[in-house]
Amino acid sequence: MAESIPHGVDAAHDDHGDHHQQSFWQKYIFSTDHKMIAMQYMFTGMAMGLVGAFMAYTFRMQLAFPGDLVPGFGLVTPANYNALVTNHGTIMIFWVAMPVLLAAFANFLIPLMIGCDDMVFPKINRLSYQIFLLSTIVLIASFFVEGGGFGGGWTAYPPLSGKPIYNLTPLGCTLWVIAVGLEFIAFLLGGINFITTTMNARAPGMKLYDIPIVIWMIVIASILFMLSVGPLIAGAIMLVFDQTLGTAFFDPDKGGDPVLWQHLFWFFGHPEVYVVLMPAIGITAEIITVFARKKLFAYKTVLHTAFGTGVLSFTVWAHHQFISGIDPRMANVFTVTTLLISIPIAEMMFVYIATLYGGAITLTTPMLWALAFIAEFLIGGVTGIFLGASGADIYFHDTYFVLAHFHYTFYPIAIIGTFAGFTFWFPKMFGKMMNETLGKIHFWGTIIPFNLIFIPLFVLGAAGQHRRIYDYTGFPELAKYQDVRVFATMALLVMLAFQLVFFYNCLISWRSGKKAGNNPWNSNTLEWTTSSPPGHGNWKELPTVYRGPYEYSTPGREEDFWPQNVPN
Amino acid sequence: MVSYFIPALSTYAGDIDFIIDLIFWLVGFWFLLSEGVFFWLIVRYRKKEGVPAEYITGETPEQKRWITIPHFLVLFCDIFILYYAIAAWYEVKQNLPEPQATVRVIGQQWAWTFVHEGPDGKFDTADDITEMNELHIEVDKLYHYKLSATDVLHSFSVPVFRLKQDAIPGRVITGWWEATGTGEFSIQCAELCGIGHALMGARIFIETPERHAAWLAEQSSVEYAALTPSQSVKE
Amino acid sequence: MNKKFAATLATVAWSVLTLAVAGVALADADSNSEANARGEVLFELCRQCHGQEGEGKQPFLAPAIAGLDQWYIESQLSKFKAGTRGLHPQDLGGLRMYPMSQWLANEADISAVAGFVAGLTTAPPVPTIEGGDAHKGEAAYALCAACHGKAGEGNKVMNSPPLRGMSDWYLMTTLQKFKDGVRGSNAENPTEMMMRGMAMSLTDEQAMKDVIAHIMTLK
Repeated sequence: MAESIPHGVDAAHDDHGDHHQQSFWQKYIFSTDHKMIAMQYMFTGMAMGLVGAFMAYTFRMQLAFPGDLVPGFGLVTPANYNALVTNHGTIMIFWVAMPVLLAAFANFLIPLMIGCDDMVFPKINRLSYQIFLLSTIVLIASFFVEGGGFGGGWTAYPPLSGKPIYNLTPLGCTLWVIAVGLEFIAFLLGGINFITTTMNARAPGMKLYDIPIVIWMIVIASILFMLSVGPLIAGAIMLVFDQTLGTAFFDPDKGGDPVLWQHLFWFFGHPEVYVVLMPAIGITAEIITVFARKKLFAYKTVLHTAFGTGVLSFTVWAHHQFISGIDPRMANVFTVTTLLISIPIAEMMFVYIATLYGGAITLTTPMLWALAFIAEFLIGGVTGIFLGASGADIYFHDTYFVLAHFHYTFYPIAIIGTFAGFTFWFPKMFGKMMNETLGKIHFWGTIIPFNLIFIPLFVLGAAGQHRRIYDYTGFPELAKYQDVRVFATMALLVMLAFQLVFFYNCLISWRSGKKAGNNPWNSNTLEWTTSSPPGHGNWKELPTVYRGPYEYSTPGREEDFWPQNVPN
Repeated sequence: MVSYFIPALSTYAGDIDFIIDLIFWLVGFWFLLSEGVFFWLIVRYRKKEGVPAEYITGETPEQKRWITIPHFLVLFCDIFILYYAIAAWYEVKQNLPEPQATVRVIGQQWAWTFVHEGPDGKFDTADDITEMNELHIEVDKLYHYKLSATDVLHSFSVPVFRLKQDAIPGRVITGWWEATGTGEFSIQCAELCGIGHALMGARIFIETPERHAAWLAEQSSVEYAALTPSQSVKE
Repeated sequence: MNKKFAATLATVAWSVLTLAVAGVALADADSNSEANARGEVLFELCRQCHGQEGEGKQPFLAPAIAGLDQWYIESQLSKFKAGTRGLHPQDLGGLRMYPMSQWLANEADISAVAGFVAGLTTAPPVPTIEGGDAHKGEAAYALCAACHGKAGEGNKVMNSPPLRGMSDWYLMTTLQKFKDGVRGSNAENPTEMMMRGMAMSLTDEQAMKDVIAHIMTLK
């Protein structure tokens, strides 16, 4: 095995063809193969997704039927409620969106799409997953210690998160911060690999503008992550010191400043939105071009726009803090930058819409997911304007309007984007086609209830309903909207029930689906030129690249696609 | 849009409702247009036998116009939004007119304390009036609030005023309001402050000058009056 | 899909269903101790501050509550809920109880959780205050004994809670609150107003320490 040799394009590849026997441990647990690590990230992420979904189920049931025992959980106390919403947010962003969208897809796709046999640092890659797994265990453990899980919000604002006498979860809050810190370290190690591999190990002939958009997006996301996470790791260490050693970085009683944490958190927290958004946007680009049989509209513009968005995303963080007691004059600056960032994002959406023009569109399951991503993310985008405009944010800040807005961004990213990518690359991952009928049932059963959950929450937000409150029936102005809450909860139950269709589809397709050939979608990119699933080392002979990834329906050719590795 | 759900009862509530409505209509128009074009394209360009897709690179200036023109229109709309957003923001947060009365607002786990100056117009004197979880104020009177917190972050939110401001321990933040209508409404804590956050509600009573005077008169023998205000309890 | 696999899936689904039905049935069978079970469920929230067994946690300002009389817990929860106890800007512990008592929706829940707490047993609290002279305190305790009983056992007729088994730091802060008027200045809570007058008789800190030292010796 060649696991310890970093593979550049010039490295010797003699030993890649032979698939010698590996033990179970070598193959599944301590593997350095990028595809196996991708699967580990994928399934850990999906398992955590189920945990996060269970939390959502529990607190939505509490909101709809306050005080009743929730089947499968029991009575939801105010402390339970806070811990549930806090960890739902933490898990869905750090333990679902990040591992699945960034780590799993990056690990699976980068070597396959740029035409090399593995990541350039396979052992660092393995270490990255192991640290991630450790962070998962620490987070899960934090729910079961005395005092229960941390309940100070996923943003963990001190002094609440800094002192056990305020948050009442002495162990939970510390384990939570440690878990998040470990998770960041895991993704830093992953990010090093993603960037280095893409820059150094591309197949011969693949120029920078020949790299598929999804790989570019993952690279941009990794750069954003690595540049933004430093301050927050420092902040997390300071917070653990505040909690355990009695330092006072964020403790106003001893001269610290709680607002400092908010700056550190959101300096990371806002780019983080783009860290998970970029891979999802990239996945959408791949799918739309394949199923519209179209060249991507203005490839270079998309790329430049994505870089521009990345740079701008570092300048908008304080729009989360308009009313947090920062100098009010600062809000004006951040309002301007925030509204500016709407422009590149809008432009990307325009590009995708323009790509559809003149296409020959087939509505397969992955295409439905990709189109749904655009349609739903637009709602998330436009509602962000209300919150970015400082004057309107005074009213909307910390209401359900915010909650509905970011679910309309994160849900398309983390859930719709994942399903799009998963159903699209399923044939490559497992060598079988997914069942289309079940796929479409699952699609409609997810997308319709999703809108029915969150559109009512916009209305509740406009009516002044604040977040993170376990029971609204005690507020005279808000009690009358109880029917709306029940409706949203019912929609959630329907949506969760339809996820069974997805798991069933995965199982039966994996066991007895139709065999997928090398290239079932007639796609151009390199991953479709090897066997499904690819063996150890990916190719017997590494491919050479002759053109960009989106040459669909090129005039003068018999076939409507033109793979990157075909000379003519 | 917001005033459909909840009355607008401060001098600046109208400005905030206006910027929300402006965004709603401007952005709503672009949103419907984009989604309309999007769905129309999906229907129009479904795959038909024998009709190949067109080959469009999107790199020529004529083609790029299809994204650059909408792009500049978005920028154009953003300028209007910016102007009115910052104007509303300035009125609420940066502008500080002269007060006719001042109220201390103190958040703690888990209650709101409101301290009025009392008849002498000064704080920290024996005639201060302290209220817990209830705030009685006069309509058409310009109040300053001095917002502080004793333990963790809280947020003083009065939806009918469209007012919200975080309270930070160790700081006193000054702001203002002037109510334009009477009634009893809700005050909420809008920043997660621990397990009692959900129950940290208070009520605001906006009263006519006569009602308010009557209320003030009742307060002369209030139980808290016996306290010296700076007294602290060690626990 | 092959048949064997479908059969396995069906078996798993059936067993899960059966187990769930059996679980619900078992829970219903035990309806005798329903109030106690409800109390235990509600006690989950109290645990956050008062500890797993109601032993109290000083850093969280939460006194020991295990084994207090049910009538006393009920009356205090009702007072917290009505705002006649705890609702004072300087009563930090009381303010924390105010929303927690709001969470108990009705009389039945209050008495369920009070009943459960009354049934808890825990080791007597460890003294934390030094420098009290139990011997001197015994004389001063004569005044307390009139209502709280010679052995600190409490007296329901006088609305007086038991004192034995209470944490000394809690007795100290409570006496201080009464002396400062943080408690006992609300006209709607006459019991506390009466207690305030009594607390005034302990003129200095040493006198308070002495009487608390005596209370800590009561069995």
